[in-house]
Amino acid sequence: MFSWLEKNPFFFAVGVFVVIAFAGLIEIVPDFAQQSRPVVGAKPYSLLELAGRQVYIKESCNACHSQLIRPFKSETDRYGMYSLNGEYAYDRPFLWGSKRTGPDLHRVGNYRTSDWHANHMWEPTSVVPGSIMPAYKHIFKNVADLETAYAEALTVKKVFNVPYDKDMNGDGKIDVPLGSFKQAKQRALQYALKVAQETKRKDLVDMVKQGKVPEIVALIAYLNRLK
Amino acid sequence: MNWLSDNVNRLALLGAAAILIIVIGVVAKYFKQIKEGKSEGVLKEENWDGIGEYKNNSPIGWSLAFIGTIVWGVWYWLVGYPLNAYSQIGEYNKEVKAYQAKFESKWANPSKEDLLGMGEGVFLVQCSPCHGIDGTGIEGKAQDLTHRLLKKEVLDVIHRGSAALGNPNGQLGYPLGMMPPGLLSGADAEAVASYVAGGFKGSGKGADLFQNTCASCHGPDGRGMNGMAPNLREYDDTIVQHVLEHGKHGIIGRMPSFKGRLTPVQEKAVAVYIRSLSEGE
Ligand code: HEC
Ligand code: HEC
Ligand code: HEC
Repeated sequence: MFSWLEKNPFFFAVGVFVVIAFAGLIEIVPDFAQQSRPVVGAKPYSLLELAGRQVYIKESCNACHSQLIRPFKSETDRYGMYSLNGEYAYDRPFLWGSKRTGPDLHRVGNYRTSDWHANHMWEPTSVVPGSIMPAYKHIFKNVADLETAYAEALTVKKVFNVPYDKDMNGDGKIDVPLGSFKQAKQRALQYALKVAQETKRKDLVDMVKQGKVPEIVALIAYLNRLK
Repeated sequence: MNWLSDNVNRLALLGAAAILIIVIGVVAKYFKQIKEGKSEGVLKEENWDGIGEYKNNSPIGWSLAFIGTIVWGVWYWLVGYPLNAYSQIGEYNKEVKAYQAKFESKWANPSKEDLLGMGEGVFLVQCSPCHGIDGTGIEGKAQDLTHRLLKKEVLDVIHRGSAALGNPNGQLGYPLGMMPPGLLSGADAEAVASYVAGGFKGSGKGADLFQNTCASCHGPDGRGMNGMAPNLREYDDTIVQHVLEHGKHGIIGRMPSFKGRLTPVQEKAVAVYIRSLSEGE
């Protein structure tokens, strides 16, 4: 019945294109739907949080932790409100994860604090006796890479129009300032100092005061931001 | 026990034998066909560089399934999906509603043991990472729930008032609102703090000062006058509820708010469990 197609490579190619394009359409069109737009109140990550996100990716936390709360009662009881598409609008790449060796972290900022994270990352079994999570002592010494984080923020601002330096909610104030690297770094250092003080660890506070942000501080800023 | 006396085992054995016989039969049939079979049928008109193809009718079962799927597909696209659109969130809402109704009817009048068990469960999941699985606060990292208040906490609250709990204008949402800073200082503050942290034992300077300065809000017995101000003697239902709703940021650290995350019965249960931790005192 279709043997004439086999003799006409051009029409065959057109046919193949139509079939594949249709499948593509089904997958792509929903991404433009309203529910995939940023949810009201979603904000891009600040410089420090972005640097923390890079630590999270670098240390492969997503190999053991998901960031996606499914709409099941058992999950919302434990972690809070189920996740919405639009909450990931500024996640590049998203860190849904596919394995839960440890618990979901999408709203961990609601029920854990900076000092708890510092204790836990230093020695997980000191707060959760049976924990099998590895200790991350090295990130208390490593310095976070603010330059790369800034480059990432600037790129997504320029290329994808991510609303840095913009008034998003119309209250006349800039919601997530970025500015030049110098300004952004200054702001990140202030923010880092606050987080470092919350961890109650003098070594971290001292490092920030010397103008170096320990990776753990950036990571905690990122975890606190997950709400 | 003779394993053949078990029905399931016998059935499984029978099934295994049947599968074996069928496999041997089918394999034998095709071997025979490969050895003796001749190709037959009508050739198609087209051939590709001399290689031809037989006309074979598709099997009826296959054809029916193929056409059936197409018909079903059209129905699903045009009628099935749009008209009974399945929603994951809808199912979630239903699940939660059904659960809530069951939860409420099951625990309408929980006994103390029920509450204790439920409270322990909630505590181990939600609270133990900070307060420790034994509730002692992991060496000062969070409140030691086997004991009501530490002296340094009381002193801090006397000096800084509500600011020592997280908000100078009142943090915990009690009807009396906020606790003013600097009601006492120096040795007086020390004496009251020892008295309160020591569990309201004995009499003397601390006890007298408490009656004069603090009792008007916290009650002469320190139990908070039925929820007007915090109960300073034990973790009653009210203080647990208020802390869970508003969170607290004190001299020990920060406790995040758990607003909306536990049901009222669960909050009561966790309070009962917390009180059970200090029963030996
Ligand atoms: C080998 C798997 C593994 C890796 C890798 C891992 N974790 Fe975990 N994590 C766990 C397990 C298991 C738990 C649960 C026990 C505990 O709380 O320590 C946990 C718990 C946590 C918690 C507490 C969550 C809660 O709800 O109590 C946080 C926060 C966390 N991990 C963050 C991280 C971060 C950040 C990284 C990367 C630096 C990381 N984890 C890497 C296994 C892992
Ligand atoms: C004007 C009424 C008032 C007086 C007088 C008062 N308190 Fe309070 N107190 C409160 C209120 C209201 C709160 C809760 C504050 C909040 O929500 O921020 C509170 C909180 C506290 C807490 C914190 C309890 C907790 O759970 O951490 C302590 C401790 C305390 N008061 C001790 C005292 C002592 C000791 C005195 C006497 C020197 C005193 N209070 C006098 C009204 C009062
Ligand atoms: C992120 C860590 C953390 C978690 C999780 C946590 N708490 Fe706390 N909690 C604290 C800290 C820290 C304090 C002490 C605050 C202070 O006074 O400085 C505290 C204090 C308390 C107090 C004493 C309040 C008072 O006024 O004296 C109670 C009661 C309490 N928590 C109950 C709970 C319950 C119940 C849960 C679980 C549903 C829970 N907490 C989960 C950290 C936590």
